[in-house]
Amino acid sequence: MSDGPHRNLERSMSERLRNVVTVTVVAVMAVTLVTLVVTDRSQPDRVQSIGQRIKCPVCQGESIANSPSAMARDMMDVVAEKVAAGETDDAIIDELLGSFSGAVLLDPPAAGSTLVLWLAPAIALMLGVVVIVWWRKHPTEHRPSPRPRARRIVPIALLAVAFGTIVVVAGSFLQDRAGPASGVAAIDTENLDDVSNETMKAVIAANAGHPEVDGMRLALAQRYFDANDYRLAFPHYLAVAQSPDATDTQAVTALVRLGWMAWDGNAEVETALELFDEALAIDEGSVTARYLKAQVLWCGAGDLDEAETLMQDILIDPDLPVDSREQVRREIEAIRAGTACK
Amino acid sequence: MSGRFLRWVGYGIAAIAVAFAVVLASRFGTDPGLVDSPLLGEPAPAFALSPLEGGEPVALEELKGDIVIVNFFASWCLQCRAEHAALTSTADAFAGQGVTLVQIGYQESPPASIDYLELAGRSESALYLADPGSRAAIAYGVFGIPETFFIDEEGIVVGKIIGESDALVLGATIDAIKRGERPGQSVTGDTSQRPED
Repeated sequence: MSDGPHRNLERSMSERLRNVVTVTVVAVMAVTLVTLVVTDRSQPDRVQSIGQRIKCPVCQGESIANSPSAMARDMMDVVAEKVAAGETDDAIIDELLGSFSGAVLLDPPAAGSTLVLWLAPAIALMLGVVVIVWWRKHPTEHRPSPRPRARRIVPIALLAVAFGTIVVVAGSFLQDRAGPASGVAAIDTENLDDVSNETMKAVIAANAGHPEVDGMRLALAQRYFDANDYRLAFPHYLAVAQSPDATDTQAVTALVRLGWMAWDGNAEVETALELFDEALAIDEGSVTARYLKAQVLWCGAGDLDEAETLMQDILIDPDLPVDSREQVRREIEAIRAGTACK
Repeated sequence: MSGRFLRWVGYGIAAIAVAFAVVLASRFGTDPGLVDSPLLGEPAPAFALSPLEGGEPVALEELKGDIVIVNFFASWCLQCRAEHAALTSTADAFAGQGVTLVQIGYQESPPASIDYLELAGRSESALYLADPGSRAAIAYGVFGIPETFFIDEEGIVVGKIIGESDALVLGATIDAIKRGERPGQSVTGDTSQRPED
């Protein structure tokens, strides 16, 4: 009998208390929210907040705000300077993106190829809701199993999707690792037509002593030789002639050019003949060495007999081109006639 | 009906999950720094840096009209040591030809860089600058070194090499820029980060 009013009072107080707590919680949340939205964040907070969004470029998955690396600290300093200068968060991040690209963002951008990463949770949630709703509407319904064929095809299709993805991804991964398909490193190093003399000089200087540099030396020396610039060609031919790594063909080419330059450039008959003999000691059948030696014997030493003998030897070579053969014949006749060389 | 529907939904989710997981897994171990530099085709970020030994800062603007090779290096970087002779000989070979090599110390004190260059050698025509606070490295978006940028006569970034370069690649890139081409970006090898990082 006396419990009725007491219980009502208790219930009323309980409801009032609950209302007070609810209103208080809502009020606190509202004030907090409004404060967060309205109040300007302090500069250190902004620096920290931007730093949390930027990936440290020299770290693995760490923000510049959390990384102890020197590069991260320097980047935080830059962010702080820009915040102090009054730049907006977006402007600061855009500047970093302009230098580093999107790879510097800790969270992938919600656009382009990474949009799916942002949409995936929402899609999964929606699918989950659909499944649950469907499940609740048909709680106990049991259907006969799908046809055996469908049951076989679906797992196979799944495996095919997974396998296909692996193949595509692995292919692109290996391609990345194999090297660039374009760009500066894709330059054709076999074809030197587009390569300047300066580049050749740089390659030779950077690879002095490397066995393969003799080919580059000969190519550069040939350019100077063709331009009648014996002064620049000389050191390269000399280096190849003295190189222990040069092939016989390269050494003969260098010695023959040196011999010709000694005669043509400095009228040094003896030196020229010695160099031709060195070339012929390496390759007795060298047509170029014989021909040029014959020229020097004829024009420089005046040894017409020896010059003619050498010219006759050249004609024995069955591989001598027709034009060259005709020229040698004409010159043999000139030697026999005692005509002065040109 | 519902059983079949649920089964298909399940298969669909599983297929998406498998493909998604494979794509994510494939990214492990790939270097996020191997992306095309957004600087390519853009005006080169300006800098004014003092020589390693100190003194008046050198501004990039002063070099406009030249092809400028900007190389970030450090003594602790093995690839930088390997390519140093190529950079030096390229600077020497193109001296007086409108080409300037600028080597910028990265994450290293100037005295350490100076000691290193004493042994590795310098080109008389090249500039060796200090980058306190990594301002230039940040402006150029350097992920690891060596990174080498090519700036044409108009001040536009037209090429970038990530990793160790050699004299033929450096020289042929300059030749291409002289012909008015824009060589673009290439990855020639690994890069280094400072050991304590």
